[in-house]
Amino acid sequence: MSTGRDVFVVANSTDELGGVTGWTHRTAHLFQERGHRVHTIGVHAAELTMALPDPPDYPVTALYPAHPPTPWEPQGVRDRFRIPSRRREAARVKAKRKAVERLSGIFREARPGGVVIVTQVWAMEWVGEADTAGLKVIGMSHESYDYSRASHRYRWIKSHYADLDRWLVLTEEDADDWAGDGMDNVGFMPNALAGLPPVPSPRTAKSVASIGRLTDQKGIDMLLDAWALVAPRRPDWTLDVYGAGEDEAALRAQCTGLGLDGSVRWRGRTDDVPGALARSSVFVQSSRGEGFPLALMEAMASGVPCAAFDCAPGVREIVRDGQDGLLAPAGDIGALADRLLRLTGNPRMRDAMGDRARTGVQRFSEAEIVRRWEELFALLER
Amino acid sequence: MSAPDVSCVITPGPGGAAALRTSVDSVLDQSLRAVEALVVLPRDTDASVRAAAGTYAGRAPDRVRVLDTDAPGDVPAVARNAGLSAARGTYVLVLGDGERLRRHACRTLWEAGERTGAELVAGCWSRLTEDGAKEQEPPWQHALFPRSRVVTKLTDAPELVVRDALVTGFCLRRAALERFGARYDEDLGPGDSVFGARAAVSVGRIALVRRRIVSGRAAADPGHDLAGRVEAHRRIRELLEARGAGALREERERAFPLDRLVPLVHAFPALPAAERDRLAATAARVLPGCVPEPALLTLPPVERVGVRLLERGDADGVLGAAYALRRRGSVAAPLVVRDDGRVQWRDGEPDPALDVTELGHQHRAFGELRLMNRLTRYEAEGGGVLLEGRLVLPGHTGPGPAATAWLEFRVRDGARAVRLPVGELRRDATGISWRARADLTRLLRPVGVRDTLWDARMIVEDGPVHAVSDLFAPHDLVGPAHRSPARPRLGLLAGDTWQPYVTLKDHLAFRLEARHRPARTVRRAVHYATHFRPARKARLLLRALGRRRDRLRSRAFKISVYHSWFLRLPVRAGSAVFESHMGTCYGDSPRAVHQEVRRRGLPLRCVWSYDRSRDGFPAGERLVRRWSWRYLWELARAEYWIDNQGFPQHLRKPSGTTYLQTWHGSAYKRMGFDETRVRMANAPRRELLQRAVHRFDHFLVRSEHDVRTLAHAYRLPERTLLRTGYPRNDVLFTARARDESEGRLPRGPLAERLGLDDHRQVVLYAPTFRGGPGRRGRRRLPLDVARFAERFGDRYTLLVRAHYLEAANLPVCPPGTVVDVSDHHDTGELLVLADALITDYSSVMFDYALLDRPLVLFAPDLDTYAAERGSYFDLREKAPGPVAETEDELFEVFERLKAADTGFQAERAAFAREFGGYDRGDAAHAVVDAVFARHLSRTSRTTDPGEDRR
Repeated sequence: MSTGRDVFVVANSTDELGGVTGWTHRTAHLFQERGHRVHTIGVHAAELTMALPDPPDYPVTALYPAHPPTPWEPQGVRDRFRIPSRRREAARVKAKRKAVERLSGIFREARPGGVVIVTQVWAMEWVGEADTAGLKVIGMSHESYDYSRASHRYRWIKSHYADLDRWLVLTEEDADDWAGDGMDNVGFMPNALAGLPPVPSPRTAKSVASIGRLTDQKGIDMLLDAWALVAPRRPDWTLDVYGAGEDEAALRAQCTGLGLDGSVRWRGRTDDVPGALARSSVFVQSSRGEGFPLALMEAMASGVPCAAFDCAPGVREIVRDGQDGLLAPAGDIGALADRLLRLTGNPRMRDAMGDRARTGVQRFSEAEIVRRWEELFALLER
Repeated sequence: MSAPDVSCVITPGPGGAAALRTSVDSVLDQSLRAVEALVVLPRDTDASVRAAAGTYAGRAPDRVRVLDTDAPGDVPAVARNAGLSAARGTYVLVLGDGERLRRHACRTLWEAGERTGAELVAGCWSRLTEDGAKEQEPPWQHALFPRSRVVTKLTDAPELVVRDALVTGFCLRRAALERFGARYDEDLGPGDSVFGARAAVSVGRIALVRRRIVSGRAAADPGHDLAGRVEAHRRIRELLEARGAGALREERERAFPLDRLVPLVHAFPALPAAERDRLAATAARVLPGCVPEPALLTLPPVERVGVRLLERGDADGVLGAAYALRRRGSVAAPLVVRDDGRVQWRDGEPDPALDVTELGHQHRAFGELRLMNRLTRYEAEGGGVLLEGRLVLPGHTGPGPAATAWLEFRVRDGARAVRLPVGELRRDATGISWRARADLTRLLRPVGVRDTLWDARMIVEDGPVHAVSDLFAPHDLVGPAHRSPARPRLGLLAGDTWQPYVTLKDHLAFRLEARHRPARTVRRAVHYATHFRPARKARLLLRALGRRRDRLRSRAFKISVYHSWFLRLPVRAGSAVFESHMGTCYGDSPRAVHQEVRRRGLPLRCVWSYDRSRDGFPAGERLVRRWSWRYLWELARAEYWIDNQGFPQHLRKPSGTTYLQTWHGSAYKRMGFDETRVRMANAPRRELLQRAVHRFDHFLVRSEHDVRTLAHAYRLPERTLLRTGYPRNDVLFTARARDESEGRLPRGPLAERLGLDDHRQVVLYAPTFRGGPGRRGRRRLPLDVARFAERFGDRYTLLVRAHYLEAANLPVCPPGTVVDVSDHHDTGELLVLADALITDYSSVMFDYALLDRPLVLFAPDLDTYAAERGSYFDLREKAPGPVAETEDELFEVFERLKAADTGFQAERAAFAREFGGYDRGDAAHAVVDAVFARHLSRTSRTTDPGEDRR
């Protein structure tokens, strides 16, 4: 049933650099293709903009020209009586009211059966106040339950998302956890795999690839420690680390300290992920926390078998341990090294797992995910 | 309207119109719109219920259908079956009396059913607690719903038929319902669980969703329709048997007494006497043959006794068992010790179900036992009352013939008490019957404010031995007829009547009440004065002030003051702060260093930190409580910090201070940054740990193993390592020298204090810490101590030392067989005392190996532990003694300890060499030389005995 609906995709920003923006536009494009009338709304336009692949063929609206000011919280008694602060706060409230009205106006034009998808928690502050009568509102989270639980967002989600028509998380396991906290409206929707490279990686290069920002969350420090156990036994293999980030200098120093300079290559940021994967035979992910990691899916789509830390339900969902990749208990460096040794030491296992991974990961193909979205829209109407 | 997605069958019940409205409202409020409520009205429905149903049908005719049937009103099964036949939805769901569907329940069920193709979709449900204030899920539901899942075999989700899981909160595909034609059993009462079980065994796929579907189910009433419940249980058993699911049937037979019968026993004291007798009679009629003997014997002892007595229809006996259930550890029957040493609940034919040997009461004497003292009669006449009761005495112990008894009345939460002698005491074989008269009005003189509740208890005195017992009474023993006049000291306006009542803990107590007008008026006035608006405001203000005060005492505030003010203070030369295991004990290496400092007369100002209690710390020393202001002050000014685990992580070390970290043991499991938990923590947390560890100026190591593991794991620079060995182990060398020169006996003063005799060998059991950080609590020991005592009690005394962060909960064992030494501060002394050691992964194994005495590793979870925590070496390969993985293997080793041990001498020596190479018995001396060199005067340098050893 893909006779056009009005679909509003609301995010923090329309063009901020980041994974969610990419997801927003990709999903908007897919809905547009299926005949829905999509309208993408951001709370604000960002300064650091993201290069969108092609100009969007759907309306894009930013409620604010720049990041709106954060609410004023008086610091101590004196601040309470400071007039400029109060005036700024009044202006902020007024601007917010205007933005909410504008949003309500957009929503009101929708025909029956319309859907609002709120991709980020912060944007919900505006949608929650807007007039969504006649529309179904779906809230989304792009992180695992544990990650939300540890952050300030947890309480916010529990108080603002419990009354929505649907609260979507990434995996069934996360959904169960949220339901345990009383969020009965929870459902799950995995991220979609962007595309399938026409040719899988030949898996001939003796290279292990890691793709991700060089930040603490991605756990490259643990990867280097694990590689220090692997390298002496696989002298002809190299570890190719793609990505850049704030920890680069420290990581390079650690690499030198471990004496791995000969077998680790720092490749920097890459825009050609399939190309990088085509030049490697094994993919490794050593993150401390993940949601539904796209990099892992891309590697599998390229037919590259993965070794990864089992750090989130999303990882378990994508990689079926032992079938199309190998998982190690999160943080267990010895185990990760063991998985790498197994994958690098056995070309037949690599091929078998890689092929299975390429087939298996297609259960998250865009067509499949869009079908699930359509099902969800239909369910909310029943 | 096209066929709805879900039909909800609702039948009115004892809850009447209100309950019906609750249920129907919850259906109409569903987020899934295509849901119909099918209200089935029996023949003789109450007019108000009929009217309520009619209103809904009028208001939402397309969503509420009312079905008038001629079903009898007392059997809801007939009406439900009518509803099942009339349902039109794709799925059918039955709601019980007053049950509410959660808002998204139908959407969740429908989606799960469609997505998985299951014919039965079940979710969680909750019921009201007994007082009706809260909702509670049955405890086994966690096991049934670990994750949302689909099961095709019942053995994957045994709880579905083993417990009564499918009584609500599930829906059935109507097609499946029609296929196997299941209906509610119309000859069974309301507690029918057969339908769900039958559905579960009939359908192919079952989807289990981990969402709460139904709430507000009526509280479990254990006494309600016992016969019907037993019959339902019997039918489910037969059903399972017929389906060839014998294992599930057996499991159900074990679960049924715990789910249904034990709660009934538990509820006995709250029931009126007639009801107790009726239930016991019913139980005697229907229960025999219902709980097979093997299933009964799997229950814990008191539960088992309760069920057995219920089976026999012994209402009084069940009441006693209920008391023992509700007050764990008390004796509620005249226990009989038989000739073979087994203990029976009471005299009579030997019955394995009444065998309560494992409770261990036989090892305790009168005065140590908590005895049931049951009040049997209460009469009030004017100001006087007559109390009669009976104190149960176990066969093996009791007071002497000259015992006297007192009744004591004590203000609750207060110190004031009055007592009067018990007039009549008649002792017989199984107890003491007593009778006392009291003039309550003159005896109890409360002030009238804050002392309105008084508890009664009895004290039996036999020379120096006292036995105190509360007066246990069934809840219907006293009532409004038993009031006595009261005379508070503030006058009759403060209260005028004593009302005896039975507390939630089943004992007799008295409440001062205001029954006459003057007192009632005063009460109302006082209540108004303490509750009207200004009083409420004042209370809020007080609470806010309290919060502010708490903030000033909080650790966060103390830390900030420490950093911004205390650290500016100059360091006091020669002052040292000692701490061992975060202040929990005076022991380990810091103690050894401290004693060495004292022995050599170093001019140091030593301060010890203690947590919680000063017990066991040397009286003459300066003591500061951990985290007190004084503690922070001392830390900020100390020249030396000496500790074996870590001063609070957040505290920076003053710039002029030297930190001696003696550490608390070599490592088998992975530590510090080698530990998974730490590695996965986020960057700020890891940095905090690294900063805390970088405070160390000296770190003691016992061997190169420590350098490879601990020093590496905490990233300690080489210059901080002191290769001296542990000062705490010096005593072990002294002990070993003594062993070799003069033997191990006599054992010394500590053995005497613990009551160890020379003809039994001493075995120390010291398991490692199992929990994560911050989780304190009692945990079961891996070793069944009672079994060990039973088997080896005549040969070994077992000293049990739980880890310093945990406390063991030891069963009662014969005297002299098991001794809890968890509170003992100095492990070294215990190691010296022990002739053999049992441990698992604790670092004491590295220390004990130095003594060259038998060492047994009892590690039932070796592989999982090593996989979860990670280890530095293979314990089996390097073990300094036999590794037992089951209790039987361990007992086998202890049967022939000497023989088992001789084979391990070489391994033990190698083990001691590898992990304790730097331990030479002079560690304390060497550490003092290295760290406190500045304070060593010439005299103390020359007069030390360690000098000539080098």
